[in-house]
Formats: sequence, C-alpha cells, structure tokens
Amino acid sequence: MNPIIRLVYRNLTISINPGFIIWQILFPLIYIFVAGFAYTSLIENVPFGNKDLSYPAFLASGMIGFNIMNSTLISGIIIWNDRRNGMFEQIMSGPYTRSDYILSNIVTIGIIGLVSAALIAAVGYPVFFESVEFSIITIPLLIFASVVGAILFGSIASIISTRLRSSEGFNVIINTVFLFFAFASTAFYPAQGAPQPLAIAFYINPLSYLVDIVRAGIFGQMTDFVIMEMIFLIVLASALFVIATKLLTKLDF
Amino acid sequence: MLCIQTSNLTKKYGSSLAVDKIDLEIKSGQVFGFLGPNGAGKSTVIKLLTTLMSPTEGHLTVLGIDAAKSPLEIRKKIGVVLQQPSYEMSLSVENALDKYGMMWDVDKKTRKKRTEELLTSFGLQDIRKKKNDDLSIGQRRRVQVAREFMHDMELLFLDEPTVGLDPSARRELLDFLKKQVQKTGMTIFYTTHVLSEAEYLCDNIAIINKGKILAVDSPNELKNRFGHEKTIKINLTKTSSSLSDLLSDIPDCKVELEPEPIITINSSNSEVVLMNILKILNQNNITINDLSAIPTNLEEIFLKVVSDSNEPDN
Ligand SMILES: Nc1ncnc2c1ncn2[C@@H]1O[C@H](COP(=O)(O)OP(=O)(O)OP(=O)(O)O)[C@@H](O)[C@H]1O
Ligand SMILES: [Mg+2]
Repeated sequence: MNPIIRLVYRNLTISINPGFIIWQILFPLIYIFVAGFAYTSLIENVPFGNKDLSYPAFLASGMIGFNIMNSTLISGIIIWNDRRNGMFEQIMSGPYTRSDYILSNIVTIGIIGLVSAALIAAVGYPVFFESVEFSIITIPLLIFASVVGAILFGSIASIISTRLRSSEGFNVIINTVFLFFAFASTAFYPAQGAPQPLAIAFYINPLSYLVDIVRAGIFGQMTDFVIMEMIFLIVLASALFVIATKLLTKLDF
Repeated sequence: MLCIQTSNLTKKYGSSLAVDKIDLEIKSGQVFGFLGPNGAGKSTVIKLLTTLMSPTEGHLTVLGIDAAKSPLEIRKKIGVVLQQPSYEMSLSVENALDKYGMMWDVDKKTRKKRTEELLTSFGLQDIRKKKNDDLSIGQRRRVQVAREFMHDMELLFLDEPTVGLDPSARRELLDFLKKQVQKTGMTIFYTTHVLSEAEYLCDNIAIINKGKILAVDSPNELKNRFGHEKTIKINLTKTSSSLSDLLSDIPDCKVELEPEPIITINSSNSEVVLMNILKILNQNNITINDLSAIPTNLEEIFLKVVSDSNEPDN
C-alpha cells in the first residue's frame, strides 16, 4: 500500500469517533433546521445572482462551506496530538517522509470535508430543492471547494498547531480563529443589510469566497466574480500550504 | 558486516555541543550497549542514527546506506523505541499493535498472528482491550516496545526500554531481545542506566560522557581493562580492639569493627596486601571466619570511567 494511503487510513481510524461525528454532521443539520426556520421570519429572501434564495436554502448551502472549513480542524488536532503523544517522532523515524505526513493530512480532511459536505447536501436538499439548479459544474465546483478549502484551512490549522506549545493555547486559538471566520462570513448571514464594517470583513474572509463557490455550484450561478474568487482561493491556499510545509519541516525533535 | 559506521559525528544544539566527534563501528548481529550519565548524548546519537535529525558535522552510514543521501531507505529497515512515550490515545492495546503493523505495511494475516504472539510475550493478554489512557506507566511502555516487533527490521534502537518495568517484565524483555537476535540475526542498539542489564544483555558496550566516547569493548574486556583494583573482604571471628592499630601501616585496607569485624582490601595490588595482612593476623592469633574476592562489576567500571573523564584535565 502507498505510504500516504496508509497514513490516511490511520488518521481516519484514530479521529473518527462518536463525538466527532456529532460535531461534524449532527450539529450542522440541527442548525440548518432549527435556525433556518426560526430566522426565516427575520431574514427575507436573499438575492444570489439572478435568484432569490429562501433563508433556509441560503443557510444550508452556507453550512456546506462552513463544514468544509470545520473538518480541517481535524488536521490541526491530528498534528497537535501526534506531537504531544510522541507519534510525530515515531512516524518520522519510520518509513515515511514529512511530505507523506503533510499530504496524508490534506487528503484526510479532504475526505472528511467531502463526505460531510455530501451528507449535508443530501439531508439539506429538501430545504433548498426549490432553488437548486444542477448543471455539469455543480459537482466539480463542490469538489473544488472541498479540495481547495481543505488545503487552505488545513494549512491554517497546521500552522497554528506547529507554532504552539501548550494545549490550552492550541484549543483557544484554533477555535477563536475559526469562529471568527465563521461569523464574519456570508456562510450564515447575507452581506446585504449588515453594518458597513461587518460587510467589509465578510469580503476579506476566505470562507465567504468558499461559500460563494459552493452556492454557485448548487444554484447554478456561475459569474466572473466567482471565477475571480476561485483564483484568489487557489493563490491563498498555495501560499499557506507552502508556509505550513516549511514550518512542519523545520519542526525539531 | 558493519551495521553502523560514523566518523566525526557531531551535533550542536545552538552553541551547546551534545555529540562531539564520535567515531563508531558496530558489527551486525549483536546487542550493542550505549551507556552514559544523564545528558551524555545517548538519545541525541539515536536521533542522528535514525535520521530524525541531521548531524551538524560528520558522516554516518547505517546498514551500508549513507544517511545524508537516502535517509528514507534507512528508516524502512530499522525500528525505534524512543525514550519518550508514544501512543495513539484512542486505540485499545490490540488495536494499537495492529494499526502499527498496518503503518509498516504488514499484511493482515501476519499482523493478526504477530499481535497474538506479542500480547503473550509481553504479558498484555489481560489488558488487550484497554485503551492507552487506562494503562499504567509500565504497561504503556510494554505496549510501546511490543508494537515495534510488529514489523521486520535489521536494526532496532531501544532508548531505555525498561524504564518503569517491574523486575520480571524486565528480565522477560531482555530474554525476548536475546532470542530475537539469535533467531533473526538482527542488531540491537540499546541504552540503559541499569548496568546489570547491560552486562546481561550486551555483547559490546560503549561508554559516553559529554558527547564523547570514552571506551568501547565487551563487558569482560572492559572489566579487564579498567578493573585493575580488586576488592577482597576478610571476615574475622572476633573483634580485637587493637586491630586498627595493627594494620595502620598497611595501605589500601579498611577496618570495620561493627556490626562484625571486616577488613576490606581495595588495591591494584590486592594479593600483596592480603599476604601482609594475613601475616599480621597470624602473628596475633586472630582467626579468619571467611575470605572472599568480590568480582568487579560494570557499575564500578562505569563510575570510574565517567568520573575520570570528569576530572578537570580531561
Ligand atoms: N532539543 C534540545 N535542545 C537543546 N539541547 C538539547 C536538546 N535535546 C538535548 N539537548 C542537550 O543535549 C545534551 C544531550 O542530551 P541527550 O538527550 O542526548 O542525553 P542522554 O544521554 O540521552 O541523557 P538521559 O540519560 O538523561 O536520557 C544534553 O546536554 C541536553 O541538555
Ligand atoms: Mg536520553
């Protein structure tokens, strides 16, 4: 078996447990149904491209983007635990290279992101089926979002986990950063109508771009702006990936 | 065949020197002991030899492979149990062994067989379903050592593997290691602070202090080389208060009266000293109850070699 596949298999076995599944799948679903319908009376239809989306549909599609980001937390946690539990050194003194290790983490979160995005899309389908517009770009755009999102946010999680020494610090920082990305993005609320500073924050936030791409795929609203967002994400993800790899390579024993 | 060869091997952490120009040649098919006080540089040498770290200077070849050119090729053929604990939190003991074998690309059938064998050899059958968090420190260490035998290897590094093990688990491990070397012809690079362990297990021993190798030889040769001073004990039947005065002119001997009268000789000329003492005892009608020569053990040699190297002129 290929070394990366072996490490991915190992990552999945050690990180998938009931707590994780609840956090990763159940929480977003409950949120879509409870918050989606509770806020419908507050938030009218949201314009997207040349469509008007109901708020539950808007939220469910945003949740897919959010979940892609959230599943990358797992990579930070794996790196962090491997360092703390001595497994990083053990793996690095075995039949693996550092790039095997990094790539296996990216693949792991790609898989988790893709599976949970697909599950949420399937279960959330009833809430956005009215506006769905499947086309040949739907699946490729969702895969693009999962892969680029995994690399981008996975690199951020990995950077944080290589820079920190105490475990409290790790949890606090990684959750704060991701919470900021989540709430200052268009995943949960539309930018229209938000106060000016928040609206600006929405648009310097890579999660907003990711969510736009997911929505473009699901609701068939491919525009030049979305293409620009895709290019921006590729550039940002590559840069962060290079930094994350450098830091992990420099990590001393 | 040479299993490990280093020349001028040097490692600095910042400006502090942890390994200082080490030249080592270790033959295959033996247990090689690596002894030295805390901070001597043992673990650092292991990290260099296992390619976890690159040397600041010098050159090393492991199993005939140049570590600077193909570290991965070396790592595929070795096993390592590092000094610090390493474990997967969420896995049970049996699962941890199995998954570790999987990470070494061992096929499923072999993994199953080896897991059973190792659970038995390492006394882990009763706790096979327990998770790492629920194990005692010694049990964790046993799992960590056991799992390394899930895969085949030509060379195994063990950095203080017996720390935390009870005496019988210790002895079982040493015997298990001896058997593995006989059976497979593998080489084991072994560090420990328990010198009786090294004496029991190792074919050759290196003593290291402050990053420098002080001596390399078989335990017996080390004793011959450094164990010049022989210790002889003479137990007497009854105390004579004048004993100390009688022997006051004889060098290298010590008299104790309590709890029982004993004369201890410790000298590089023990036999001559003994003759002189016997003459005096005889002249004074003091009878001997028991007379014994204490063989030099590795511990004394270790202490001597290390303390000599700590003298300021070294
Ligand atoms: N990561 C590190 N950074 C800086 N100095 C280090 C580091 N690791 C070890 N050292 C220093 O290098 C020297 C050798 O350490 P090493 O761990 O190799 O000793 P050792 O012989 O294994 O000791 P012990 O018997 O306590 O395990 C020590 O002086 C130690 O302080
Ligand atoms: Mg050490």
